[in-house]
Amino acid sequence: MQPDTSAIPIDPCKHCGTGAPVDVHFCPRCDRILTLGRHGDYFTFFGLRRRLRLDLNDLEQRFRALSRLFHPDYFHNSSSTERLASLERSSYLNDAFRTLRDPMARLEYLLKLEGFTPKESHDATTKVPQGLLEEVFELNEELEAIQDMRAEGASAAAIALRLSAARRPIEANLARHEEQLHARMSEHDARLEAGDPEGQREALAELRTLLLERTYLMNLLATVRREVSAGEAAAS
Amino acid sequence: MAYSDKVVDHFNNPRNVGSLPKQDPTVGTGLVGAPECGDVMKLQVRVNPDTGVIDEAKFKTFGCGSAIASSSLATEWLKGKTVDQALAIKNTDIVAELALPPVKIHCSVLAEDAIKAAIADYKQKQEAGQAS
Ligand code: FES
Repeated sequence: MQPDTSAIPIDPCKHCGTGAPVDVHFCPRCDRILTLGRHGDYFTFFGLRRRLRLDLNDLEQRFRALSRLFHPDYFHNSSSTERLASLERSSYLNDAFRTLRDPMARLEYLLKLEGFTPKESHDATTKVPQGLLEEVFELNEELEAIQDMRAEGASAAAIALRLSAARRPIEANLARHEEQLHARMSEHDARLEAGDPEGQREALAELRTLLLERTYLMNLLATVRREVSAGEAAAS
Repeated sequence: MAYSDKVVDHFNNPRNVGSLPKQDPTVGTGLVGAPECGDVMKLQVRVNPDTGVIDEAKFKTFGCGSAIASSSLATEWLKGKTVDQALAIKNTDIVAELALPPVKIHCSVLAEDAIKAAIADYKQKQEAGQAS
């Protein structure tokens, strides 16, 4: 399916007044750099479709090409409007690149673009399965027991053993999550290619749940890492 | 970011830390999580089935200082309240009492959610008990 170009807002060139879609960086008529339109997004900025699996080499090439084109040095002698435009485009480009090159940041960004409420809202859609909460809670209790062991002067070997047993299920869980995330991302992209917006939204809804669950697991892993380094500090 | 004195007090001397027997029909358990940070909180109440008054409340929170303070405060407030009064506790009451800054509001939401979940669990057990 071709993207519906009629939906892309038009911004006039400040210099010659020619209208240009927001995903175009230079005026089609006078070739001057355009001020940054407000309606584009990171994907259109790079000339990409809203895919979740991106070829990072390709992304980087696009990034380099565009940063060369927008580089403020080239606009030294241009009008102030153009100088401003080059600065705006350069900084937007950097934000866009930083977000899109990181698969998780990219996913969060796309979810927001597609209207999946950000994760701070406390409604039914931000709930994760009770079973996961129970697992996370139990593992936290186990980590707390390990902290107590340390406080009571247990041997470093005994602590390390118990800690490695505690982190195993967390890491296994995260690995499984990663797999599911990638599978759903591919699914989303396939639906996008097939022009199936319904299937696309289904995949996004599942991705959002997976991302929420990941927050809990990452938090847990951070606690494990703190414990590991506490052990190392104690050993040295 | 500076914590208010009340938060520090609850954090250093948390009230009612611990747990109650989950299977007990007079105990309601709420286990909730904050999607923003991945912190988890468990809050339990024991209700006197004759009076409907909460006579014991316990919590265990793996989270930030504000979440610990919020749940500690919640357990204090819960004791002596009826189930319906308990449901009237709002996170904004906790925010006001502990003087939580805007970035810590979600920590108080967690406590309100935990109260609601614990009461819902208790009610469900009661209904199940009556049905059989
Ligand atoms: S920061 Fe997560 S509950 Fe406070």
